[in-house]
Amino acid sequence: MVKTKNKVVLSAAVTFLAAVTLAGCSSNNSSSDNSSSGSTAQIKLKTSFKNSAKTDKNATKNGTLKLAEVANSPFQGISDPILASNAADSHVFSPGGSNNLFNVDKNYKIIDGGLANQKLDRKAKTATITIRSNAKWSNGDPVTAKDVEYAYEVLGNKESTSSQYSSDFENIKGMAEYHAGTSDTISGIEMPDGEKGKKVVIHFDHMSPSMKFSGNSFIWGTVEPYEYIKDVPISKLASSEQIRKNPIFTGPYKLDKIVTGESTSWVPNKFYYGKKAQIGHITINVVSSNNIVKALQSKKYDSVVPSASGEVGGTTYKKLKNLKGYTKVGQPALSYSYFAFNLGHYDTKTGKNVADPNKKMANKKLRQAMMYALNIDQIAKKFGNGVAWRGNTLIPPVFQKYYDKSAKGYPLNIKKANKLLDEAGYKKRNGSKWRSDPKGKKLVIYFGGMSGSSILEATYQDYLQQWHKVGLNVKLYGGKPMEMNSFYDTLQKPSQNKIDLWDAAWSLSSEPSQSQLYGETAPFNMGHFVTKKNTELINKMNDSSAWNDETRTKTFKEWQAYMNDQAAVVPEEFNYVWQPVNNRVKGFDFSPANNELYSDLTLTSSKLK
Amino acid sequence: MWKTVLRRVLIMIPEVIILSLLVFLLAKAMPGDPFTGSINPKADPAQLHHLMEMNGLYDPWYQQYWNWVVHLFQGNLGNSYQYQEPVTRLIGSRAINTVWLALLTTFLTYCFALPMGMFAAKHEGKLPDTIIRFYTYITYSIPFFVVLVIGIWIFGYVLGWFPTTGSVSATAASGLPTYGSHLYHIILPSVLGALFGTVNVVQYLRSEVIDAKRSDYVRTARSKGVPEKEIYKHHIFRNSLLPIAAFAGYSITGLLNGSIFTETVFSYPGMGLLFINSINYRDYTVITALVLIYGILNLLGTLLSDIILSIVDPRIRIE
Repeated sequence: MVKTKNKVVLSAAVTFLAAVTLAGCSSNNSSSDNSSSGSTAQIKLKTSFKNSAKTDKNATKNGTLKLAEVANSPFQGISDPILASNAADSHVFSPGGSNNLFNVDKNYKIIDGGLANQKLDRKAKTATITIRSNAKWSNGDPVTAKDVEYAYEVLGNKESTSSQYSSDFENIKGMAEYHAGTSDTISGIEMPDGEKGKKVVIHFDHMSPSMKFSGNSFIWGTVEPYEYIKDVPISKLASSEQIRKNPIFTGPYKLDKIVTGESTSWVPNKFYYGKKAQIGHITINVVSSNNIVKALQSKKYDSVVPSASGEVGGTTYKKLKNLKGYTKVGQPALSYSYFAFNLGHYDTKTGKNVADPNKKMANKKLRQAMMYALNIDQIAKKFGNGVAWRGNTLIPPVFQKYYDKSAKGYPLNIKKANKLLDEAGYKKRNGSKWRSDPKGKKLVIYFGGMSGSSILEATYQDYLQQWHKVGLNVKLYGGKPMEMNSFYDTLQKPSQNKIDLWDAAWSLSSEPSQSQLYGETAPFNMGHFVTKKNTELINKMNDSSAWNDETRTKTFKEWQAYMNDQAAVVPEEFNYVWQPVNNRVKGFDFSPANNELYSDLTLTSSKLK
Repeated sequence: MWKTVLRRVLIMIPEVIILSLLVFLLAKAMPGDPFTGSINPKADPAQLHHLMEMNGLYDPWYQQYWNWVVHLFQGNLGNSYQYQEPVTRLIGSRAINTVWLALLTTFLTYCFALPMGMFAAKHEGKLPDTIIRFYTYITYSIPFFVVLVIGIWIFGYVLGWFPTTGSVSATAASGLPTYGSHLYHIILPSVLGALFGTVNVVQYLRSEVIDAKRSDYVRTARSKGVPEKEIYKHHIFRNSLLPIAAFAGYSITGLLNGSIFTETVFSYPGMGLLFINSINYRDYTVITALVLIYGILNLLGTLLSDIILSIVDPRIRIE
């Protein structure tokens, strides 16, 4: 009895995991039109809720803003952004300000005015970080230069449990030695006014234009409370009281109480340097994805935790879009879903991806034809409810400057698909209903997809059907959608011949350089697409020419056009991050350019509307 | 009897070793590892590789097993990969939640089921009996998660009488209010669990009582003029509790198993949810620790049941 129970729930849970963790957001739950083909199902939402009601001072001061964190398992409770490994943790601790160093504008470009300012010196190859004089931790301690430096120690320590370290940090002088354990300090990080000073100078081997943006892979964007945690060995930090039970923060709110795995509650931090927090209490409760619709409908929460990755997807949108007493806000997501083709292998000796011209999918026209055969617009319209729509390029629209609005992508065009296949020599021979390859050999293409919702499975079936229409014998690898771990286990092998193309999703960092996803040396380039031109364009995104914003933008657009033509990785759907906000909340604006999100909030009544 | 108990305990040792070996190997045989799927532009596979190495995940299985056993004897079950804290602490915090929920559920189950079983048997074949039997069949045949979902919908969301998520309120002050809040959070799930989990106890008790009603000693007591109330209290009820007592051992150790359904629907952080999550995440240390604990508990449960039975019924001796 108990055993059967376990099995049922297990498959349900796996399903969820695949849908949420993997898709990073939602490859499956939504979509609608595309900007080029002209169907207009895509919703338009504002990033802010301009509430004209008057702030109720008493309700604001004594009231509680109730937020929900949508998660199907208890959160892990690691408040340190360097050590935390999932979104739930960063969400439940977000009123504390996430210990962010810098303020950003709408393009995630670092600007002055935050906890610290940053100045890059291309000649001297340094970044100078100057902490504001009134910056304090929520226990009253000042934020010091050592706090900035210690973040790099926690990140790069040999014994650190953090998974955020990457070889890019070895661009900092002395970081490689520190990471290897041959040096106790990072020689390239200098504190000219001493550990208690306010200035940090970081010396680099080379400068990169991406350093101007938050989320880049060279300059870490948060501080660590050195004085508070210095007695805990770095290897034990993640399980320490200072990080789990009584963490301190630099943001507008400080932690009042934490129930591990379930909830956090917050009160204003009087030491905050910026705009003072106005609401007396904020609570964040974990609510499972099965319950969130009901919970919002019965007005248990003001909203979900505002975040760039989004808490409620497209299926929820359909149920909540007309919810009385709530206003919808939204912005395009950092994530997108994509198709990728298996085009080579990863050479573990040289650490490089190698394209293999003999791979089954090596023919560009075959790939293009497969994409033209799909009717993603229709799928998006059917399941997306306006929150997702067909992606037309590999840079999602949230990057307003780089996103190529005019890119066509791959709308449905069966005629063109057939023509491309005929041209490339994939013909039906000897009366077969399937096309064979140009050499006349039988062609069976294996498609890999992860198990998830029933919508996702219906989507896969539609894709297969469309490919069959153009005479391609495409089969689901393994006969059914794969469990998430097996899926990535297969794809991350240095060389594999099991899956020819697949459907997955991921999320970009707020700095959209592409080298770690599609670069020649990127192990996450699981399709192993490598060409001279691609390498050139990706490098150009961060070479010296890219210091000029216009040139960088041009490079991004050029790369998008090139990738669209090559069809080695093709976007499937873009989506909206959206959330309902109760009408009693005033001042809600979750655009990236708003650096005082929590401070701005007030309440217009003591009860939810 | 103690000889038997000792023998049973000794037999448990190889059983536990085999169990742990099986669990360890099966856990490792699952595709993926704790770091599969952590794919984002900022995660460097070299660092993931470094973490795998640091945690000894590339060692041959027998070495990993040996390390694990050595640590086990030092009382160290390792660190959870997912939660990055000691497994003992993690399981400890979840076990408390699970035990409270299970205790209340079990207690309420007996509160509802014992009178129902007695009442049904007393009125065997009459209307009350039919109603109670009908009730137990109906509650037994409805899948429990449906009950939970409807329950949380009506009492949690529509009427708003009970909390719908977690084990304690985020704003409860420490001390008494926190305990109160804990209790408040488990009332709805345990009442639902009790109302819909009566079938075993009711049916066993009912048939035992009906048997006992017709037995010789009851007839003798009746003919001696003992009042009906006394007969039920002293002669029938006590004897009818035997099969229920036989279950008691399992019930006690079962308190730690946790209910996956309840914990999922109420987002209640207990052992069941932890088990499922650890499997999905490939959190090897947690999986092996939990299965080992469950295994040992089950073995202990059988033993305990036998012992309880022999205490309750002096006629039964285990040799």
